[in-house]
Amino acid sequence: MLFPTTDFAIFFCLVFLGHWWLNHNPRVWKPFMIAASYVFYGWWNWRYVFLLAAVSLITQVAAIAVDRQHHAKRRTLALALGVAATIAPLLYFKYYGFFTVNVTNAATSFGLHVAPPLIQVVLPVGVSFYTFMAIAYVVDIYRGDFEIASWVDLFLYLSFFPHLVAGPIVRPNELIPQLVVRRDPRQIDVAGAMWLILGGLFKKVVIANYLAGAIVDPVFGDPARHSSPEVVIGIVAYAVQIYCDFSGYTDIAIGVAKLLGFRFPQNFDRPYSARSVQEFWRRWHMTLSRWLRDYLYIPLGGNRKGSARTYLNLMITMLLGGLWHGAAWHFVVWGGLHGAYLAVGHWKEGKRKAGQLAEPPDTLLVHWMQRLATFTLVCIAWTLFRADSVATAVALLARTLTAWRLPSPLVTTPVLLAISAGLVTQFLPHRPAERLKAALSRLRPVPLGITVAVVLFLITTLGPRGVAPFIYFQF
Amino acid sequence: MTTDTQERTTAGHERPNDPADGLPPGRRGMPAGRVLVVLLVGILLWGLLYAPELKRSSEAQPDGIRRTVSLAILRPVVWVEGRLGLTGLIDNASSALGRRPNEAVGGAGDVDPLPSVPTPSHLSGHPQRDTKIREPTAAKPLRVVVVGDSLAQGIGSFAERVFKPSLVDVIKQGRISTGLSRPDYFNWPAQMRLIVDRSRPDLTIVMLGENDAQSLVTPEGQLVAQVGTGDFPPAYEQRVRSFARVATSEGGHVIWVGLPNPRDTRRWEFIERQNGAFQAVADGLTNVAFFDTWNTFAAPGGGYTAYYHDGKQLTLVRADDGVHFNADGYTILMRLVARFATQQFQLDPRTYEG
Repeated sequence: MLFPTTDFAIFFCLVFLGHWWLNHNPRVWKPFMIAASYVFYGWWNWRYVFLLAAVSLITQVAAIAVDRQHHAKRRTLALALGVAATIAPLLYFKYYGFFTVNVTNAATSFGLHVAPPLIQVVLPVGVSFYTFMAIAYVVDIYRGDFEIASWVDLFLYLSFFPHLVAGPIVRPNELIPQLVVRRDPRQIDVAGAMWLILGGLFKKVVIANYLAGAIVDPVFGDPARHSSPEVVIGIVAYAVQIYCDFSGYTDIAIGVAKLLGFRFPQNFDRPYSARSVQEFWRRWHMTLSRWLRDYLYIPLGGNRKGSARTYLNLMITMLLGGLWHGAAWHFVVWGGLHGAYLAVGHWKEGKRKAGQLAEPPDTLLVHWMQRLATFTLVCIAWTLFRADSVATAVALLARTLTAWRLPSPLVTTPVLLAISAGLVTQFLPHRPAERLKAALSRLRPVPLGITVAVVLFLITTLGPRGVAPFIYFQF
Repeated sequence: MTTDTQERTTAGHERPNDPADGLPPGRRGMPAGRVLVVLLVGILLWGLLYAPELKRSSEAQPDGIRRTVSLAILRPVVWVEGRLGLTGLIDNASSALGRRPNEAVGGAGDVDPLPSVPTPSHLSGHPQRDTKIREPTAAKPLRVVVVGDSLAQGIGSFAERVFKPSLVDVIKQGRISTGLSRPDYFNWPAQMRLIVDRSRPDLTIVMLGENDAQSLVTPEGQLVAQVGTGDFPPAYEQRVRSFARVATSEGGHVIWVGLPNPRDTRRWEFIERQNGAFQAVADGLTNVAFFDTWNTFAAPGGGYTAYYHDGKQLTLVRADDGVHFNADGYTILMRLVARFATQQFQLDPRTYEG
C-alpha cells in the first residue's frame, strides 16, 4: 500500500480508530496492529506476508539462541549463524539474479560452462529495511544492549507499518520499549504530524514527481540527445528529486507514527547544507548511516586499527552500502566513490590534526564554497546512482562538458523553481515553521480538517497525475 | 517463556506516556477522538474537492468490483457537485494550478510534444505504398514515433538511445494504461490520426494491447463486444487493422511489436490471440510488419524466462512484475526491432547502434 493513495487514507482511518480504541488493552492491541501491518504489507502481494513472518521467526529464534549461549565462542558462533540465517532471505531475493548473470558471464569468458537455474526472483518491497532491523536486534542481544523481546513485540517491531517498506531503520531500543507502554490518547501532536505528512506529500508529489518527468528521466534516459546545461540541471534535479522523494516518504512515515503516539528517529537533517561528505552522511539517511557505522564499520575495526585499516573499513562499508541499495554495479561504484570521498576526508582530518595541513579560514564565503564543493561531489556520485549503468553515468558526466552550444528546452522556469524550492528547504530557519505549527495546533478540529483538505487538494492538483512509487521502495 | 520475561521487565512501565514527553514548547496536543474528526473532515472534504478527478481515474480502471464500487460512490458526488456548480469551480481551480481537468489519466508524462511537419504536396491524399524507409540525412532526419502503452513508454525511452540523434528524431507517445479496447478512456485511433497529420512519421513503432483484456466500447462508452465472447476477436482485429491503416495512411511504415509472454500463464491464451491478430493485420497490409516479441524472449522450451541469451552473454531482461522489461531488456528489444525494420523496410543501419 502506498502512502499517497486513497487506499491508505481509508486504511489509516480504520487503523487509527482501532489503535486508540484498543490502546488500553495490549493483549488485543498488539495482535490488532500486527494484523493491520500485515494487511498493509500484503496489499502489494499477499504472499510476501509469509516472508515477513518467516524473517521475524528466524530473527527471534536466532536471538534466543544467542541469548542462551554464555560461553563467548559459542555465543559468537550463534551470532554468526543467526545473522547468516536472518540475512539469507535478503541475499536470495535481492542478489540471486545479479549473481546468476555475473557468474555465468564470468565463467563463459573463461571458457567454462555454468548453468544455474534461471529463476526470476522478485524483490519483496521493504525486505532490505526490515532485515537490517532484524540484524540490529540479534546483534544488540549478543552485545547485551537489549533484552529478548516477547514474540508478539518482535513481530510487531519488524512489521509496524509506518516504517515497514522504506524505513526509517528503527533500532530495537527505540521502538520496542514504545510497544510495551501505553500511548497517551489525550495529547497527540496533530499539528506536528500533519506538518510532516503534508510537507512530505508536497515534497514527493509536487517536487519529486514533477522533476522526474520534466527533466530527470529524459536526461538520464538518453544523455546524447541533451545539451550540457540540460544534463547539469538534470543531475542537480535528481539530487533534489531523490531528497524530496525519500525524505518526503520518511516524513510521512514519522508523521503517521506520531498520530499513533510513536516517536521515530529523524532520517534527514538538511543534507545538502553539509560542508563535507562526512557531514553529508551524518545528515542523509541517518538511520542507515548509523546502522552501517554500528553494525558494520565498528565491528570491522572502525578507526581503531590504524589509517590503512580505517580507509579499508570505510571502503568496505560504503561498497556494501552501495550493494545494499541495489544489485547492480553502478550502485557498487556509487558506494565505492563515497568510500573514497570519506577516506580522503579522513586523511585530510588526520593531516590537520597533525598540523601538516592548515585549517581552512572560518568565514561565510569558505563555508559556502565547502557546501558547493560537497554538493558537487555528491551530485557526481548521484549520477552513478541514478544511471542504469556505469557506462551511462560516464556518458552523462562527459556530456556535461561537451554540448554547451545546443539549445536547452528542458531547462524551464518551473524546473528551476522546483529545484530551488527543494534546495531552499535545506537552509530555512526552524523558528517560523515552529510558530506555524504552534498556530495550527491551536485550531479546533473542523477548521484544522478543512485546512488539511485544502492543502491536500493543492498538492494533488499541483503534482503530476498518477501515483509514482517512492524511489527507495526498490531497495 | 520469552513473553514472560518481557512482561516482567515491562510491568513497571504499564502506564501512559507522560504527555510532556512528546510536545514541543508552544504546541498543543489534541485527544484522539478529535484527531479522528480532523482526519475525517480532511479526507472527506478533499474527496469532495477531488471527486471529478477520482471519478475519471476510476473510469479508467478495468472492469471489476473496485471500479464498480468507486463509481457507485463518486458518480452521485460528482452529479451533486455539477448541479451546485462546484465542478466548474474545481475545474477552474485545477486549471489555475496548471492541470487540464479533462486530460486523459494516462497523462502526458514522458510524452513528447508533436512536431509539426509541412504537408508534402505529393503526399496529400495519395498514400505512398513503397516498402523502403527513406534514407535520412543530418538535415532531414527520420521521424520515428513510438506509440502504445507502458511497454511503449519503455521502448520509447530506449529508442532514443538506440537510434542516433544525428539521423533520427524519436517522438515518444507511449501512454500508460491505454489500449484499443477503451477509446472512452484514451482514443488511440484519434491520437494516431493527429500524430500522422501533424508529424508524418517515417516509422511508427507500436506496442499496444497489454491492457486490452476488457470489453470493447465506443468513444462514448457504448458496449461493442464483451470480452470472452465470440464477438470479441473479430471486433478487436478490426480495431487493430483500423489503427494500422491510420498509421500508414500517409505512406509511413509500421512495426507492430508483439506482446511478450507474461509470467502469469493464465493470460497466455488471450495474449497469443492478440498477437495472432497483430500478425494477421500485418500480413494483410503493406508497410506493416509484425515483430514476434513472444518467441524472441521465450525460454528455449517456450515458457517464460526473465533472462535472454544472445549467444555470448546472459542478461536479466524482464522487470519484477513479469510483464514489462527492465532497462537492459528494453534496449535489447529496441535494437532487435531496429534490425527487423532494416530487414523488412530497408531501414538504413547507420541510423541505430548495434
